[in-house]
Amino acid sequence: MSESDMAIIKPDMMKSYIWLETSDGSIQQVEQEVAMFCPMICHQVLQKGAGSSKNSAISLPHKVNPPMLSLIFDYCRFHQLPGRSNKERKVYDEKFMRMDTKRLCELTSAADSLQLKPLVDLTSRALARIIEGKSPEEIREIFHLPDDLTEEEKLEPLKNTMDDPRIRLLNRLYAKKRKELKERAKLKSIEVEERVDERSVDDLLSFINGRDHKGVNTSKSKKKNKKRKEHKNGTCKVFNKDSHNLHSKQRSVEETSSSSLGRVSNLHSMEDDIFSKKAEFEDGYIDDEIDPALKEMLDREVEEFARRLNSSWVLSVGQERQPVHFSINGNGDTRRLTAIDD
Amino acid sequence: MMIQEKYTGRYQNLKVAEALSNNHLYPFACNELSSIIDLGFSRFPKDLKAFIFRDCLSAFRLLPDMNTSAAVSAANLLVKSVESAFPKQKKNLAVVEFKQAKVALKRRSKSHEEHIDMPSLPQDILVHIFSFLDVSSLLSSSQVSRSWNQATCEGSIWRSLFDLHFNHKVFIHIHSGIDWREAFKNEYILSNSSKMLRSGRGYCSYCDSIVWHDNLRCPKKQCRLKSGKKPLDLMLIHQVVNYLLGTTSSSDESDSEDEAAVRGLWAYPTLQ
Repeated sequence: MSESDMAIIKPDMMKSYIWLETSDGSIQQVEQEVAMFCPMICHQVLQKGAGSSKNSAISLPHKVNPPMLSLIFDYCRFHQLPGRSNKERKVYDEKFMRMDTKRLCELTSAADSLQLKPLVDLTSRALARIIEGKSPEEIREIFHLPDDLTEEEKLEPLKNTMDDPRIRLLNRLYAKKRKELKERAKLKSIEVEERVDERSVDDLLSFINGRDHKGVNTSKSKKKNKKRKEHKNGTCKVFNKDSHNLHSKQRSVEETSSSSLGRVSNLHSMEDDIFSKKAEFEDGYIDDEIDPALKEMLDREVEEFARRLNSSWVLSVGQERQPVHFSINGNGDTRRLTAIDD
Repeated sequence: MMIQEKYTGRYQNLKVAEALSNNHLYPFACNELSSIIDLGFSRFPKDLKAFIFRDCLSAFRLLPDMNTSAAVSAANLLVKSVESAFPKQKKNLAVVEFKQAKVALKRRSKSHEEHIDMPSLPQDILVHIFSFLDVSSLLSSSQVSRSWNQATCEGSIWRSLFDLHFNHKVFIHIHSGIDWREAFKNEYILSNSSKMLRSGRGYCSYCDSIVWHDNLRCPKKQCRLKSGKKPLDLMLIHQVVNYLLGTTSSSDESDSEDEAAVRGLWAYPTLQ
């Protein structure tokens, strides 16, 4: 090639560069069309005339470190070329997004500070896909986030805690449980335990049946609970002390007499009845001095109740189902399948 | 027999196998498979049984890739159904596959590296990320940490969710102080949404098929263009099974809101 030819070619090969300074102080230059793809840089160049030389390098936000910057510019370099098809861009984007979560977070922050919205969208969607379908604990693990919400705050994911009748009920239950366990401890020492066991299964059955005729409703409104509660005021006090025992007794009775009771009562309405009975007693917290071991057991139980109580909102939104289920074989026996432990 | 062939055709229309390899749909697909097995396996023709068997094996083989507790629960449920309905040989093959998957899962969770230094995302980015989430994921996120919880309070997220879920059927009086999260929550409970969303299924009238909905819309682009803002008709699992079996049971027993709790305690009769 002759020199004159070279002279013609050269101007095409002359690109202009933008000078940039990252948070660690290092300065680099990037092709203009690539850098200008970022609105923040574009703004600096056009409005303030910065970046044209090493001395007037544009200083980038601190969230943009060199590795992130090079990633971002890879992205820009690809996309700023107008000739690419939509499909090409899509394929590139999908490949580009394959990185670990930490880098994804860094990249999102960096892109955001450079106001590169398409990349922010891309990374945000990728992060959303990571979050999707996971439990809070799993999310915490992936993003290394602290578990700094109280149990109560977690149970009520929507702000107004006190307005929700269920949370009020929960608080009452907390108090009630404490008192009840304290009384049980007392009872043990007096040896008036296990009254429930002396009852025959038939007695319990007729009690359950008697309650259920009133308890069988599709609606679980508090009004109906209150009506039932008032009606059974006499009987419920007797059971309150050993309602814990009764509750577990009821469950085993329910399991064996499924045919006679049919599908009528389910676990929830039973619990609602028990809860509403307890609601009769004082509101608010009772500051008892309880043995810490008892308290732990209490807390665990209440958490369990609370989860069930809240399940119609929070947990039922999730996809989990009970791992244990029953099935009937040919001759009508129930066979319990053992749960496989994870 | 012609009638038998229908079952198989319908099963293939349901595209359960495709959903299994999708991270988001895997638990839904497993649950649906469980229900299908529970409610009709013995009656199926040979080739449909073979398809279902194949899909169960797939489900278990894919479990380690899914690696969420929802996936594990769904797989557990599936293996229960397999254990009670499959003939001995097939059952054993499937259970072996399942156990291998569990081992692989354990191995994966052990090799988890420890990044301690994670950059924290600014609130407005969190809000932007959350705007792409479905309701259950959003609620999970709200329980992760304090900063995430605050981000989930953002009204705009709940407003667009309300729009997505309820706009076509609920007229809401919008005033300046409206709490969109409360509005959403109330309507969600009223319309029994959690039950409706449990299957991951919707019916698209434009392509006349049962689909795995993509954020309440049909996954097919043409259908989305035609339907505009209108979401799909959501379906319950038992309705999907009815389609497959060609039955029309109203089956309130299997879709009561406390189905999970009920099933845990009570034996339930198989459909006749």
